[in-house]
Amino acid sequence: MKPYLLEKKMSESTLETVREIMIDVFDVDDDLEINPATSAEDVEEWDSLSHIRLIVAIERQLGIKFKNSEIEGLKNVGELVSVIDSKLA
Amino acid sequence: MSDEKLAKLHGLLAGMPEMRTVIDTVVAAWPDHVSYLLKSFEPRSPAILAATEIAAAAARKLMQGEDARFVADYRWTCDQLRDEELFFHREGRYRLSTFAEADAEVYSNHDYMGRYVNGLLLSQLLWFNHAATFEMFHRVLDASTAPFDYLEVGPGHGLMVYLAARSDLSKSLEAWDFSAVSLRETRAALDLLGVTKPVSLTETDILAAKLPERRYDLIVISEVIEHLETPAVALRFLRQAIADGGRLFVNVPLNSPSPDHIYLFSDPAEVRAMVEDAGFTVESIELFATQGRAIAKALANKVSVSAGVIARPR
Repeated sequence: MKPYLLEKKMSESTLETVREIMIDVFDVDDDLEINPATSAEDVEEWDSLSHIRLIVAIERQLGIKFKNSEIEGLKNVGELVSVIDSKLA
Repeated sequence: MSDEKLAKLHGLLAGMPEMRTVIDTVVAAWPDHVSYLLKSFEPRSPAILAATEIAAAAARKLMQGEDARFVADYRWTCDQLRDEELFFHREGRYRLSTFAEADAEVYSNHDYMGRYVNGLLLSQLLWFNHAATFEMFHRVLDASTAPFDYLEVGPGHGLMVYLAARSDLSKSLEAWDFSAVSLRETRAALDLLGVTKPVSLTETDILAAKLPERRYDLIVISEVIEHLETPAVALRFLRQAIADGGRLFVNVPLNSPSPDHIYLFSDPAEVRAMVEDAGFTVESIELFATQGRAIAKALANKVSVSAGVIARPR
């Protein structure tokens, strides 16, 4: 597999992992739809408070740790996924 | 989207000119906060909104036209709290656990403390759980049927002393704090709020206080015991200081990481047990979660919940 395809695959699986964690943390229906452009504006339950719980749940599940600057700077799901991928790489 | 939310928020604040002024200052400086604010105001009952407007009018007097600076300090405070939230959810405990640590980081840090207390003043209006416990305190006062001697431990901005002073039934008013600096600020606040009844402010460490000669009919300890290493000792002391038939009002946040919160209460049952073990009978406990969320879910998710407890000596 070419590297860029591998990268794409990893992102897609990370996106799905993030989606599953969001469903659990935000306590929303299983059919939650997210894509890289999804931001807190699009998900009613995603606010500054639940964001912290989301981050910590991701940290626990994937065994990674975010820096404060990374947590504050995230604009959307795509940025979140790419920070996660950079830590898993 | 944000404009829509702001319009909704304005709709909720109809007839609340003081609160509306504060909200507009907050949103102008921090547009992204409007979602949080909407969620914090939507669950408020008419009684909580009325209490909020009273608190907003008082806060505006205390801000003396420097609303924008207070709003900047509020935002700064929220930033500090976010760091504490992160630590709390990662580690399952508050970051600091001793008074000495909190003193070094917060209480003795003049710049930090100044911004932090300004931020907390606005949280009184802007956060659902703070506004709801303030409304509960109105009901505690309204339930008084006879003249009462009032003692508050840790009066902060003096908003509760101010309300108690407005009650026709308060015949004496006293407040204690371990910090002379805080008491000077309380005094200045009471002056700005136009409190004319005499209020005795005494520098006293509740954990090392000598039992006074007199007894108090209404004792209030709000947002204090989570700052103490041994809150049970404080409650036992207050049991000795309360008059027969008097009432104790305790307001304590659960799962509420803050730079100077050192004693973690995770569950209302812990608070009830501590108050009962100190020799009180708990009459009622009311729980108010952040943004008015369902209590069971808030407790399970470790989202901050304020517990308001009314108790009588046993």
